[in-house]
Amino acid sequence: MTDNPFPKISRRGLLVGAGALAATGSRPARAVLNIDINQGNVRPMPIALPDFLTGGPAEGDTGRNVTAVISNNLQRSGLFAPINPAAFIEKITSSDSVPRFPDWRTINAEALVTGRITRQGDGRLKAEFRLWDVAAGQQLDGKQYFTTPDNWRRIAHIISDAIYERLTGEKGYFDSRIVFVDETGSKDRRVKRLAIMDQDGAAVRYLTRGDDLVLTPRFNPSTQEITYMSYGQGDPRVYLLNIETGQREIVGNFPGMTFAPRFSPDGQRVIMSLQQGGNANLFVMDLRSKQTTRLTDTPAIDTAPCYSPDGSRICFESDRGGSQQIYVMSANGGIAQRISFGEGHHSTPVWSPRGDYIAFTGQARGSFSIGILKPDGSGERVLTQGFHNEGPTFAPNGRVLMFFRDVGQGPSLYTIDITGRNELKVPTPSYASDPAWSPLLS
Amino acid sequence: MRKATAISAGLHAAVLLWATLSFSGKSFDVTPAESLPVDFISEKDFSEMTKGVKDAPKVETPKPLVEKKAEEPPKPIEEAKPKVTDKKELQATKEATPQPEPQPPKPDPIAEKLKQPDEPKQAKTEQPLPPKKPPLKPQPKFEPDKIAALLDKRDPQRNAATGIEASATPSLGTAAGSAAQLSQSEIDALRARLMALWNPPVGMQDASQTQVTIRIRFRKDGTLAVGPQVLTSGSGAQFNAMRDSAVRAVFVGQPYTMLRPEHYEQWKEIDFTFDTKQMFHDLPAR
Repeated sequence: MTDNPFPKISRRGLLVGAGALAATGSRPARAVLNIDINQGNVRPMPIALPDFLTGGPAEGDTGRNVTAVISNNLQRSGLFAPINPAAFIEKITSSDSVPRFPDWRTINAEALVTGRITRQGDGRLKAEFRLWDVAAGQQLDGKQYFTTPDNWRRIAHIISDAIYERLTGEKGYFDSRIVFVDETGSKDRRVKRLAIMDQDGAAVRYLTRGDDLVLTPRFNPSTQEITYMSYGQGDPRVYLLNIETGQREIVGNFPGMTFAPRFSPDGQRVIMSLQQGGNANLFVMDLRSKQTTRLTDTPAIDTAPCYSPDGSRICFESDRGGSQQIYVMSANGGIAQRISFGEGHHSTPVWSPRGDYIAFTGQARGSFSIGILKPDGSGERVLTQGFHNEGPTFAPNGRVLMFFRDVGQGPSLYTIDITGRNELKVPTPSYASDPAWSPLLS
Repeated sequence: MRKATAISAGLHAAVLLWATLSFSGKSFDVTPAESLPVDFISEKDFSEMTKGVKDAPKVETPKPLVEKKAEEPPKPIEEAKPKVTDKKELQATKEATPQPEPQPPKPDPIAEKLKQPDEPKQAKTEQPLPPKKPPLKPQPKFEPDKIAALLDKRDPQRNAATGIEASATPSLGTAAGSAAQLSQSEIDALRARLMALWNPPVGMQDASQTQVTIRIRFRKDGTLAVGPQVLTSGSGAQFNAMRDSAVRAVFVGQPYTMLRPEHYEQWKEIDFTFDTKQMFHDLPAR
């Protein structure tokens, strides 16, 4: 080796040097701290709903009305807490500009909805809204709809559903209707009329005149059609009724009483009970071919059948074991399996649209309850209990149940979350019973 | 009879006397145990035993000086290599038999070194001298009217002494030392804050989508440096709602003042896993 004060820089040396530099330049790999958050604080989400803006006097109070409907929907769901508008700091003047998020954070809003209603040149209403995440300061959703001016309520429900779905991850249920039996008059001279309304109790419309007694109306899952049991002269019969046209037809021509009808999920068939002597069996009728199939043949009362959402199975109520209990069997009939083993009787089973639960009316120790259990019979629990509760029906998203309760004078409609929380009375013009929840309209 | 009594009494007395004299009452000697100094410290203190610095100069313990050189062990006898000669095989063995003269012991360089006083090393281990105290100033008179002047007018600083600052001399520390680490109480406070703020979407049907992991980069003041980075991939309304609820909680929770600035290296990046699996389960059957 020569004593060269400046040693030659070899390519190899350079490479090694670069490697060393890279090694020192980057921090040694350190595991990032990982913290598990396995508990949350479930509470209604504070949401700010300033009145929708309107383009001018032509829209009148539509903006305010739409906001009021949305606010009412979200509040009634129990998952949202609309903030009192008096607390708002920023006044929204444009639905297109980004709101001042610190102003909304100050009043603890976690979500903010801004919107605008404008009348188009062709007379239609244009409704647009934006959903903002106040904490993150970003837009979560934004949509616009066109409709006729008298349809503003549906627009409000559709916007409510969009907000609900974006924030909860579940489909909404606000754009849906309830068909129920409206009851007026004194107790011994009750007039029972079939009525339909929005799920929030608005826009009530009567479907029958009250000449005949009506019971157990049920929605067709796919069209605007209902089936129900009615009797005036002669035997009670199952009918089909088109809500839009008012057209009515009898289902099947059976030599006896038919009752407790319900549509199949595809809307092509109606399943019902047919009384034969002292017992009743389940029959299904294809609405197009009018072909009837017997599903059960027992010396017992089999009734209140309901399809699973996929149409493969049926749950129904039967006293074949001595008392009324819930059974599940294939949609083609066959061997039925008892699934309810809790205390007392179980009746009026109804399968959740999302398939995870079957709701029922329970009867034990002199009180009636509304409960749910899983289709395999496990996880039975009572949601509400009292003097008289009956006839549960699921909201389209399977999160909420509606049922009727009679505390003495007459029945009223109530909703309850499947968690057993948030029990609310549904406003109806008079007494009401036998509610049936429609599928989502859109 | 009388005689017998006397003999008996005498013998008894003799036995008693012998017993009294011969059985010595040897007391139990308890050697006083040396008392151990015991300090009470909290678990936290224990778990946070001073952590040292990796690049601290190694403290050399002075090696004991060698006073006397030990006698050299005799060198192992080198095996004489037999000369490979075909003809004089016998002679070769004869030549190998005489023991070679033991070589005079060579001076061992290591031992020589050890003999020398370890001057430079000694100097290294010397502790730095404490700074010289300034000469005492004449004590100012206490004036009650001027208390304000005595108050510390420096701005409060968010600094706490741990790690390097706690121990005056940097050392390698204990291997498991964690004084410069995020303490469990800080993590717990952080977790509690997020648990209180996180409002997860309830009643989701799809139980598989219960988890979302979010990476957060913090500034030293406890606010988010950049937007949360979602590490879990997913899609659909349920995933979005879950993800947004977690992100919302992280945003609303800032600034995270429970995280102490001196531990910033540890918490400048944290992965949060939000999980609802343990939150929702079926209520017991009635």
